[in-house]
Amino acid sequence: MALLQYSLRKLFYGIPLILGVTFISFLLMVYYGPDRTFELLGKNPSAEQIEQVRHQLGYDRPFLLRYAGYLKELATLNFGFSDSTGERVGSILKRTVPITLALVLPGFVLGNLAGIVLALIAAWHRGRWLDKLIMGGSVIGMSISFLIVIIAFQVIFSTPYGFNWFPVRGWEVHDLASYSRYVTVPTLATVFVTLGYNTRFYRAVLVEEMSRDHVRTARAYGTPPAVLLYRNVLKNSMIPIITRVMFSIPLVVISGSLLIESYFGIPGVGKVTFDAITTGDQPILKAIVGLTAVLFVVILLLTDILYRAVHPRIDLK
Amino acid sequence: MSGGRTIIVIGIIGLALGLQTGCTDRQPDDTAPVKIYRHALDGAPTNLDPVQSANIYASFLVTNLYDTLYRYKYLARPYELTPNLATGMPEVSADGLTYTIAIKPGVYFIDDPAFENGRGRELVAADFVYSIKRHFDPQTLAQGAWLWQNRIQGLDQWRADGADYAAEVSGLRALDKYTIQIRLTRPYPQLPHTLTQGFAAVVPKEAVDHYGREFAIRPVGSGPYRLLSFSGVKAVLERNDRFRREPFDPAAEGYREDQHGFTGVRQLAGSVPPLSDRIDVHFIQEEAARWNAFISGEVDHIRAPTTQLGAVLESRSPIRARPEIAEKYHLLTPLETGFVHTDFNMDDPRIGYHQDPAQNTRNKALRCAIVKAFDWTARNRALYFDLAQVFPGVIPPVTPEFDADLDRSSVSRDVEGAKALLQQHGWTPDNLPELEYGFAASVAERQSFEQFRAFMGDIGYPPEKIKALAYASFGDFNRALKQRKVMLITTAWYMDFPDAENTMQLFYGPNEAPGSNSANFRNEEFDRLYEQSSVMQASPERTAIYQRMNQVLIDECVSITGLSRTFVLLWTKNATMYPDLSFLSGHFARFVDIATDRHEAE
Amino acid sequence: MTRPASDSIAVAGTHSGKGPWMRAGQKLRRDYYGLAGLLIVLLYFFIALGVWLGFWGQDWSAAGGGQWESAGREHWLGTNRLGQDIFQRAVFSVRTAFEIGLVVAVLSTLIGAVLGAVAGYFSGRWIDELVLWLKGVLDAIPFYLFVAAIAFAFKGSAYAMHIAMISTFWTTTGRLVRGEVIKLKHQEFVEAAKAIGLDEMRIIFRHILPNTTHILLVQATIVFVSAIKSEVILSFLGLGVQDGVSWGLMIAESTQEVLVGQFYNFITASLFLFILVMGFNLFSDALQDALDPRSTGSRP
Repeated sequence: MALLQYSLRKLFYGIPLILGVTFISFLLMVYYGPDRTFELLGKNPSAEQIEQVRHQLGYDRPFLLRYAGYLKELATLNFGFSDSTGERVGSILKRTVPITLALVLPGFVLGNLAGIVLALIAAWHRGRWLDKLIMGGSVIGMSISFLIVIIAFQVIFSTPYGFNWFPVRGWEVHDLASYSRYVTVPTLATVFVTLGYNTRFYRAVLVEEMSRDHVRTARAYGTPPAVLLYRNVLKNSMIPIITRVMFSIPLVVISGSLLIESYFGIPGVGKVTFDAITTGDQPILKAIVGLTAVLFVVILLLTDILYRAVHPRIDLK
Repeated sequence: MSGGRTIIVIGIIGLALGLQTGCTDRQPDDTAPVKIYRHALDGAPTNLDPVQSANIYASFLVTNLYDTLYRYKYLARPYELTPNLATGMPEVSADGLTYTIAIKPGVYFIDDPAFENGRGRELVAADFVYSIKRHFDPQTLAQGAWLWQNRIQGLDQWRADGADYAAEVSGLRALDKYTIQIRLTRPYPQLPHTLTQGFAAVVPKEAVDHYGREFAIRPVGSGPYRLLSFSGVKAVLERNDRFRREPFDPAAEGYREDQHGFTGVRQLAGSVPPLSDRIDVHFIQEEAARWNAFISGEVDHIRAPTTQLGAVLESRSPIRARPEIAEKYHLLTPLETGFVHTDFNMDDPRIGYHQDPAQNTRNKALRCAIVKAFDWTARNRALYFDLAQVFPGVIPPVTPEFDADLDRSSVSRDVEGAKALLQQHGWTPDNLPELEYGFAASVAERQSFEQFRAFMGDIGYPPEKIKALAYASFGDFNRALKQRKVMLITTAWYMDFPDAENTMQLFYGPNEAPGSNSANFRNEEFDRLYEQSSVMQASPERTAIYQRMNQVLIDECVSITGLSRTFVLLWTKNATMYPDLSFLSGHFARFVDIATDRHEAE
Repeated sequence: MTRPASDSIAVAGTHSGKGPWMRAGQKLRRDYYGLAGLLIVLLYFFIALGVWLGFWGQDWSAAGGGQWESAGREHWLGTNRLGQDIFQRAVFSVRTAFEIGLVVAVLSTLIGAVLGAVAGYFSGRWIDELVLWLKGVLDAIPFYLFVAAIAFAFKGSAYAMHIAMISTFWTTTGRLVRGEVIKLKHQEFVEAAKAIGLDEMRIIFRHILPNTTHILLVQATIVFVSAIKSEVILSFLGLGVQDGVSWGLMIAESTQEVLVGQFYNFITASLFLFILVMGFNLFSDALQDALDPRSTGSRP
């Protein structure tokens, strides 16, 4: 019961955030965004026809009315139809979000797991050559642009100039075999790029934890490394780890996949969003930005609840 | 340096490979081999409603999913009209104002829940009337009205009166179930050409009403194919079993052994289109990815990207494929039905018309100097693999009115002449105006701009005075054109039909922005000649008028023009076809035959 | 975009006799990786300076060579599709990168410092809530969408990209400064300043903010790196540099070339970018270690 109350209160506090995000996004993406009028006009339009199209698109309505209309759409989760295809926004999301999740999840999970493992190794051997090797590797990894990795990996894995093992692009997934064909190169690129950042972050967290007195003591008494790492270090580092993982989620779903999806021609939500920005498909933009904001607030809440699960000492207040 | 990470990366690769080899079997084939033709387009349509089929991507699908009254013959070049849904060519009254068109009986729409009992009903003349009216209905956001506005009696008034579909339009009527009558306000010889376009495709009112906005992705037509699935990256079309049976007749389609013999299409004589059971249309924007999809056998036909031409062609003239390409693929290299040109915005007093006659003359000299400085040869070499055809003026080589003997000085570089012209009119590096070169941001457009700047550098135009005006999207660029904000406008014009009228209207005064005359060119003689020629049937007199208009444009230095690209089309030898990318249409796809042993061969 | 704060937990108070900046300088001098990083950054800055002053990289737009020439004496790193010299373009892009990096780093650090300090000083009050809300809002909008939206909203402005980066990159700096200021404001010197009735703004900007310089310096280097890395992606997406040349534009050009086996453009731009980012990362790490108050004992 307390949990429920707490959650509701948190959600309530999330409202200003949602309002802020939607307002700024609406102002930028919708009000000042690209004008679809001239894409919808024929080859030889008259001034009158231009006005007509603007009216059809609702561009001539006052700003506040349009924004209020948007909030209503968000509240009722009814975003209407895409401006360009005429498809229901809901069905577009239903089609594209699973693709994006299937695309980014392996890279996300592997990137974080591998980061934690490498960080554990580095932290355990802190200051010695293995630590230096891993940390040197992560600085190099962090210094390579995501874009360069994507281009290079495509050349290496998917063209005759490299191994030519995987399809250059696309997403024709109908079973596990085809899934692994299409997901491998994007996953490798994601892991490669995030590994440096993840390793550094987790190492910092673990080093901090390992230098605590009780860990030092346990280590001095010869507790086996695996037990020590699991019971004394990893468990206590859960909060920063959870925070990082949780807050990556909205970014992974949208931003993280944008570059990969547009470069590999994968019809996920990132590509749809980017296309919507460039063509000014406002119903899609409104839906994505609004839902991302809601997702963000929900994640804030979930993170709090998870903290409590990991460390029951933390009060819900 | 990164030992630990490398191990993990290798591990992941190993894992991926394990998954790979574990299950590489393809989808099991059904009993009868299915003929699938896989087509690649370099962009994706967003909307399959015929009234919004303004780009090549949408029209390719629309002309396969719906019926048009006319189409171009599959093989004949130059292009010739032939009846499609119509029974014959239109009967035209002596004054050229009344067109009577009979349509074929027994043509049915596909089965769809939109119809009573879900069974497609017969297509009738009233459907055509309804479909054209939709272009004049402000609710539809239609884009094709410009083809017919101020041309058809009562149609513009119908729009002004509130677009009530029950109201009759005197110039657009169904005389009976199978007869259409169009009455024009003035002669419009290009009318039958407009009826080949996706814009003029016939839709059933039931489906439009039933699906509302989603009609745009749920096409219900009577074309040779029906839509199975559609996403931003791929569309799957399945044969329409109810499509009328009209066996392929090579002679009627313009077959000539010397032109078409290599394709083998003659062997298909007598078979009934659509010849493929399915068409998979892949939308692949990135050139390299499209090319890779083709050479790895994922698509059957492609327009080879310019960057790849070095790997495709052994020689440019005559155009010949490398042996390894010729062994696997057929090659066809038609000129595009359109052209690329850079217009000056004549409304901009820095470069165009000026109130002060002396400045007006100086501006013209500046424009002419820029035209002279432009190096079409280098442009062709750097960006079009030296395969494009450069021609003076705006009458492209694919039109019947093209004059091969026209003086080429307007497309021949003359650096000294340009410098002299500038000097003569008192232009110096200090007083030359800042040039703003607009484009929709893309790598190729940016390279065009950089090359332009380099050309101008050669006549002493300071590079810092030549600015890029990059627009984030084509829509934004287009809006800037319509608002007359762009000084130098580089565009590619895709012709709507093979008649130079279609390019002349680009410079007709009353069509100025927001119309298609983005140059905002206004010239009394040109406008008079345009009005005179626009009601004339094709004839040597009309051609002479076109050529005079062309000369006016060249003399006024209103545009740096022009270049028609050569399309390098390749298709696998499994496909028996004669591809065609002209005039926004995809009518050829119904004639594409695919060898079914492909899957076994793999 | 940003990286976690320092990970070094060093033994406290080894140089307790000297000032904190001196100690930092000494630490930095013994960090060879950091020095190498600094050297790289200075070398690049020197190159950028030369471009500004017109010594080199001036022929980046001339299309003098043939298409896709190989590296040679005429064109050190070959030519691109238009016959432009790739080396000249890469060198000129150093200037572009510094312009973007400096503008974004300086302005976003400034904004982060001011907003963070004000929020920290008035923590718990409405102005703090407002800053936190703004930060929350900006963090909740996916970065590339935000930049794309700004780029469109500012219709073709050459600074759309800068504005977008500045308005998102200040938030981390702001958060760190706020935390530090909350710690500092209860210390004696602040209480003393309050007691003698100094103006609050004066206290914040004269007395408290200077004590966060170590955070600002490190953050500025991190933002610099983020900015030039983002430029590459944004220019590739067509949202970045509008006129001129940058590594991002070169890489965008090269995406078509690499698949025909023309690698000069891609490799050149990638290496130029990689080395600079690497240098900055090494330098930034060293700076962080050297300036970390935890490694030099607590500040007075």
